[in-house]
Amino acid sequence: MEYLFHILIMILIYVMLSQSLTLAAGYSGLISLAHAGFYGIGAYTSTILTVYYGFPFLFVLPIAILLTGIIAIIVSLISLRTVDDYFIIITLGIQVVAFSIMNNWMHLTNGPLGISGIPFISILGFAIKSKISFLFLTLFLAVLIYMILRNVTNSPFGRILIALSEDEIFVKSLGKNVYQAKVISFTLGGMFAAIPGVLYAHYISYIDPTSFTVDESIFILSIVIIGGMRSLWGSALAAAILVILPEALRFIGMPSNMAANMRQIIYGIALIFMMFKYRNGFMLS
Amino acid sequence: MQILINILQTCSLYLIVAISYAIIYFVAKFFHIAHAAVITIAPYFVFLFSQQCGLSLFVALPLAILFAVLLGLITEQFVYKPLRKYNVQPFTILIASLGLYVVLQNIISMVWGDATLSIRVSEVKIGLNIFGAYITAIQIITIAVSATTFISSIIFFSYTNLGMNMRAVSSNTELANIFGISSNQIIFWAFALGSAFAAIAGILVAFDTDMRPTIGFSLFLYGVVAIIIGGIGSHWGLLFASLLLATAQHLGAYYIDSKWMDAIAYLILIIFLIFKPFGFSGQRLKKIEL
Repeated sequence: MEYLFHILIMILIYVMLSQSLTLAAGYSGLISLAHAGFYGIGAYTSTILTVYYGFPFLFVLPIAILLTGIIAIIVSLISLRTVDDYFIIITLGIQVVAFSIMNNWMHLTNGPLGISGIPFISILGFAIKSKISFLFLTLFLAVLIYMILRNVTNSPFGRILIALSEDEIFVKSLGKNVYQAKVISFTLGGMFAAIPGVLYAHYISYIDPTSFTVDESIFILSIVIIGGMRSLWGSALAAAILVILPEALRFIGMPSNMAANMRQIIYGIALIFMMFKYRNGFMLS
Repeated sequence: MQILINILQTCSLYLIVAISYAIIYFVAKFFHIAHAAVITIAPYFVFLFSQQCGLSLFVALPLAILFAVLLGLITEQFVYKPLRKYNVQPFTILIASLGLYVVLQNIISMVWGDATLSIRVSEVKIGLNIFGAYITAIQIITIAVSATTFISSIIFFSYTNLGMNMRAVSSNTELANIFGISSNQIIFWAFALGSAFAAIAGILVAFDTDMRPTIGFSLFLYGVVAIIIGGIGSHWGLLFASLLLATAQHLGAYYIDSKWMDAIAYLILIIFLIFKPFGFSGQRLKKIEL
């Protein structure tokens, strides 16, 4: 049973990550490979504040979201100087820089050794120790993110995002502020990625930079693309399948390091096939 | 003095990667991320032929380069060419290529494992002593190969038929097609040449620092940074960009710490994008700033 809860929590964390990227990559067409960076910044911010300074969870969470948001604004100001494939390469570069900072700033992040001993989350004196209560907290936040994103994407602002990802110059000609809309959607996506980061750090109780690599970014992007780019439910389903996949492979008797490689091979192939499917662009189906 | 030799070696290595990638990008105009897998797989083929099959290095090296080129051509024939037929946007091909890279890299680590492997034949020697600095044989070979690559690439693009056809396809694909130059055929040749240089770069770096399944990716990213800084289609731009990158990294390693090399490369890229978005050559990169 504990194992099942663990899988469910991991699925929900990836659901949150992929939904936050769906806003940036799916709706406004900003295909970003820096998402694991934001996820990591959220995780490290909360870890450092909790372990070194002993701040409570309800204080740490907003700080982590805000800090990630500020960094996301800076990142978007740099990377939005480019578009399309150059944008992807720039965000890839930013991801490498973020990983390099997490891996090498020994004083702050303890480098490759990581930080251990992250305490349980406690909300107003009520400690969340069991897996089932953590699952409910994660579920609550995932539903909250889903509701917010659904409202954003169904709002007039969401329609601007969809329009600009299809024809940017046309949207500009309608007098909409394209640049601002891009910055806002990218920043919102980054801020929402901080939440699963905070949860992951408290759940595993140990973090090191290898959880936030380029591979992780590619994985999150694959979930979004396999989920159908602009579908919040689709990316949730894809996250569930891709998280369960290595467990299922292990279940049929594949050694666990091979199962991890196999999962990457499978989603790599899925990415290629999805690109053949979306050869006419990512239209709403 | 030692730092000068190190800069020269790193610069030569980046230059080979940058040229190998620029040939493909110049003609085909999309980011071929699976190029990183071609760089990685070449030394692994050397390992396969020379250590696992016991062939001599003189047979193993050409065979490895040949197989790496074949891999490059297979990606072009079976993934990119069918995708290009639908006139897709460049980032669609980029993502497909990303998927391809993930697949190839994981196949490499499934077959040969994630541990560091060595293809060095002899014990590490101290190397020759020149003006108080040490230079190893492989460093001399790297610098020589790089210089040859650079000069032959200039000659190739200015004087040979194929090189001029590549320039024609690069500047206007449709017009080139009208004049009877098959763009698919030219891209095929670009992939063959680019993959061959990539394989050489991968083998050189593996002889110097051994290999892991991820060596190709960071090398490839430095190559991309060099191309964006230097500008496509300008050999001297690529040379300056590689030199700048290598100098900044080695000075950074000398004065701060060698672990920040990756970050330094990208900081240079970001600074260039902010202050000089068109690179050294001043040539307008497609799509940077709408």
